[in-house]
Amino acid sequence: MSPIKRLVLDLLKPNEIENVTFARTLADLDGVDGTNVSLLESDKEVQNLKITIEGESVDETAVSDAVENLGGTIHSVDEVVCGERLVEESSTHQD
Amino acid sequence: MASNQSTLRELLANEDVRSISRRYFISNGFDGTLTSIGIIVGSFLGGNQAAMDIVRIVAGGTVGLAASGVWSVWEIERAEKLAELKRVEAKMLSGLEGTELHERKGKARKINAAMSGLGPTIGMLLPIVPYFFVDVALSLLWATVLGVMIGVGLLFVFGAYMGNISEQNWVIAGLRTGLVGLVVGGINIVLPG
Repeated sequence: MSPIKRLVLDLLKPNEIENVTFARTLADLDGVDGTNVSLLESDKEVQNLKITIEGESVDETAVSDAVENLGGTIHSVDEVVCGERLVEESSTHQD
Repeated sequence: MASNQSTLRELLANEDVRSISRRYFISNGFDGTLTSIGIIVGSFLGGNQAAMDIVRIVAGGTVGLAASGVWSVWEIERAEKLAELKRVEAKMLSGLEGTELHERKGKARKINAAMSGLGPTIGMLLPIVPYFFVDVALSLLWATVLGVMIGVGLLFVFGAYMGNISEQNWVIAGLRTGLVGLVVGGINIVLPG
């Protein structure tokens, strides 16, 4: 089965759990080389984040468990890159 | 174990946890110190009290106040933190039981309750330290005077600390709170009987 090289998630999390905690926890998972956490929207109690995870072999179940354990909810998986190399999204006429 | 210590460090660095703990510590510490001053002045004026009898009375009071501090805050914070969790759950549209947030709130509650019990324990016990030196180096009168001074000093420290964190003049803030100790001692002296 092809390894996942990049995973881009849209998620909701409680304000009280810091973005740094999310970034560090996900970056510490096996097969992950690095993470990027971007704040999309902030509310009084919750925040909407876009998280990009890259690595040699990202385990999507471990990512999902870690997010849940931190109190986050994955809204959508916005991008998945699998295989031996990182393939970027290609542009189309509609873009 | 290492993870627990790191979570504890994170919680102690969290301004919300520190702020709530500080309030309980100082508020209950205030209660404890003033109660202790009241007991030692009242016992001395009542006469016929041995130093160790006064120590026993204050120690008994300490158990009561510390238990009240821990228990009440444990219950208050259980309700408050549960309500906070429910508000976040409503926004998240999912349960948060068993998550990091739930765990953090539980640990924060323990820190709040411990600090709430520690305040009156220190406030009650420090003023009775001189009574251990009665008949060795001090008379009962001087042990009482020293006890009141320790209590006033402790109230001064509470006030100075609050003045310091709120960037007020800490000496004036300390004097304002220290004065209460003298007022309590004075009222005890003036009271009939």
